[in-house]
Amino acid sequence: MFTNILIPISSEFYSKEVLKRSISLANKLQSKIHIVYIIEEKTLKKSEERMDSYRTSYERTTLKQAIFNEQTQTADSIVFEDTKQFLSTQNILVDEKIVSGEFSDVIIREVKEHHYDLVLMGFDKECSLRYRLFDHIDVPVWVVASAEQRSLLAVCSNLAPNQKVPLISQQLSTLFNWPLHLVYIVDPQDPVQVDAAGKRVGKRSLKDLVADGTAFIKEKREQGIQASIVVGPLEKEIIRAAKKHAANLIIVGREQKHHTLSGLTGKSTKRKIAEHCEYSVLFVN
Amino acid sequence: MDEETPPPHHRFAVLPQLTPRSIIALVIAFLVLLLFYLLPTPAGLTFAGKMMIAILIMGAILWITEPIPLAITGLLIMIIQPLFGVRAINDVFASFGNQAVFFLIGAFILASGLEKHGIHRRIALRFLRFFGKNARSFTFGIMASCAFLSFIMPEHGVAAFLLPIVTTILIASKVIPRQSNFGKVSMLSVAYGCSIGSLGTLIGGARNPLTVEILAEQGYTVTFFDWMVIAMPVVFISLPLVWFILQLVFPIEPLDISKARDTIDTQVKEVGTLSHQGILVTVIFLFTIVLWVFFSHVIGLAIIALLGSILLFVTRSISWKDVEQHLPWGIILLYGGAVTLGVGMSETGAGAWIAQLVINTVGEHALLVIFVLILITILLTNTMSNIGAVAILLPIGFAIATEIPTISPVLASMVVALSGGLAFMLVIATPGNAITYSSGYYSTRDLFKAGSLANALCIVILFAVAWFYWQGVLQI
Repeated sequence: MFTNILIPISSEFYSKEVLKRSISLANKLQSKIHIVYIIEEKTLKKSEERMDSYRTSYERTTLKQAIFNEQTQTADSIVFEDTKQFLSTQNILVDEKIVSGEFSDVIIREVKEHHYDLVLMGFDKECSLRYRLFDHIDVPVWVVASAEQRSLLAVCSNLAPNQKVPLISQQLSTLFNWPLHLVYIVDPQDPVQVDAAGKRVGKRSLKDLVADGTAFIKEKREQGIQASIVVGPLEKEIIRAAKKHAANLIIVGREQKHHTLSGLTGKSTKRKIAEHCEYSVLFVN
Repeated sequence: MDEETPPPHHRFAVLPQLTPRSIIALVIAFLVLLLFYLLPTPAGLTFAGKMMIAILIMGAILWITEPIPLAITGLLIMIIQPLFGVRAINDVFASFGNQAVFFLIGAFILASGLEKHGIHRRIALRFLRFFGKNARSFTFGIMASCAFLSFIMPEHGVAAFLLPIVTTILIASKVIPRQSNFGKVSMLSVAYGCSIGSLGTLIGGARNPLTVEILAEQGYTVTFFDWMVIAMPVVFISLPLVWFILQLVFPIEPLDISKARDTIDTQVKEVGTLSHQGILVTVIFLFTIVLWVFFSHVIGLAIIALLGSILLFVTRSISWKDVEQHLPWGIILLYGGAVTLGVGMSETGAGAWIAQLVINTVGEHALLVIFVLILITILLTNTMSNIGAVAILLPIGFAIATEIPTISPVLASMVVALSGGLAFMLVIATPGNAITYSSGYYSTRDLFKAGSLANALCIVILFAVAWFYWQGVLQI
């Protein structure tokens, strides 16, 4: 399922949980792990700009180089050292590299240039990363949180194509032997139906959307999947359902929600989910 | 695409480097000038005073939003005054050519001598080795060394050179950025130690000579020694208490710091013994400090600073290349703008007019006025350049003091000057915060959490010192 896993680690945020999860996945799926340590140029640039009147060009360059060296050392002595320790008894292929750039840019470029089929990463809302990659790459993104439960929650909705989510959820459920619950959310804030190709195909009444959702979960129940339907804002209902089902991992599809009345996109729904959810989330694009 | 760079459709074709935010800031800043120009002059204020207030607001907007470099805002403040007929062109540039500018230049040259010969590194490592018994005392060592070095060098220079030393130690101790409280406290100790130490002498921050200069323009003399007598108690009380707050906010995890100690020992060995040239620089620097402390009222701060600098050249301890590498002309221009702003506010009566407004609002209660001055300065200095915040509030504080008999202008000015150095809460507040934040060991939320408590504590300390020590004991 996931044979080439990309693990981006930002100099702004490092989580050991991501490495641990990658090892359990790689063991089960015989995957290769690619760790990319990203030195955040944006932070260096901001710091440099703040000093432009206070420090000479020479001093700013020297300091930037010192911070760059320090972060390279952090990658070598802490992140890659941890990887070695975790993998000491495993037979998993790993490659590591250090690059400088902006977190989302680097991941988007890496995904374009290499054949990764999963991005496995941590999330920290307190750092300055904006996580634009959630909406800009086509491979699944697994955001690992530290909370450990033993259940899977698959999220389908009127705002997503609902093709890959049930499939991947079932595969993961079988792989890890975790119970699966599927929730279908009808979002009254954006009452449109998204088709199988991921396109918004026009406004519909709430009654029709609920009827479609009911038919969808009936079909899933017939396949032996526990399923339920709820009506409410997508982000809130996901978090509510995650708590209710004590989900270890929430699997969300490529939703197409518009956030404002004018149809302009505000903060990404995926980012909101990652920010507010205490559990791991797999965004299937 | 870099997140800092806006997408192409948001860019302005004619001014591609300016973001919409910068354009808006510039437009608002110049609209303020236009608006004030067109508005009728209020009673009790001259046209020049009205326009000086407009320039003050424009400067504040540009220093906070930074669409152009801080130093260039300083230049803008200078040229707008004669353009609007606020002050004569020669008066504006004359106030830029004061002795404090040359004191700053001399202080930077002396600091480059210390840096070239690694004297600052030796001092820092001695401190760290002395305090390296356990993780907590080690963080106090970081704070104390930063504070001490900020007595003799500009604070941001201290933060920049301490950063690699501290990170090497943290990496050796396997401290994970953002997750370890030891990492957080160590880095915040660098930032806060530099800020607190910079209050102690005239060298630590350019806002200190700015205060002395603006007071001198009004006929009040504060010598190098006077400054230390006034400011040092604030430093010595704040330093341990702010360190204690850091320990409370981020309790340090049990940690073996033997590797940190080994790293310090290795670094001490690497720097070795001081060269003859290094000894000479130390002697010249100590000689300069002695002159500053005991003879600055006779010879003048700038002459002593330049004498020390010239001695470094005569003894071939530094070269012009060293000066080029370490003398930030931007800060001199920023200083120039700040000092002309302060003098302009006083000369045009704008400071006195705002002071009257403040007194009408909060009354003439001396304690309340001191508290409000500290609070406003700390809030402002957290959102903009320290020197800019002091330049804006100093003339107002000074004018308020002349209206209230129980507060002396020196006391009000010192309150503003020292509060101006207490920028603890935001990354943008001071280069020291920006430098340490870029190491990745703490988040903006960590900084705000610790900084807001530290700032609250320092408000109390400064208020108490101002009232009981400055007014009660020193009777200023």
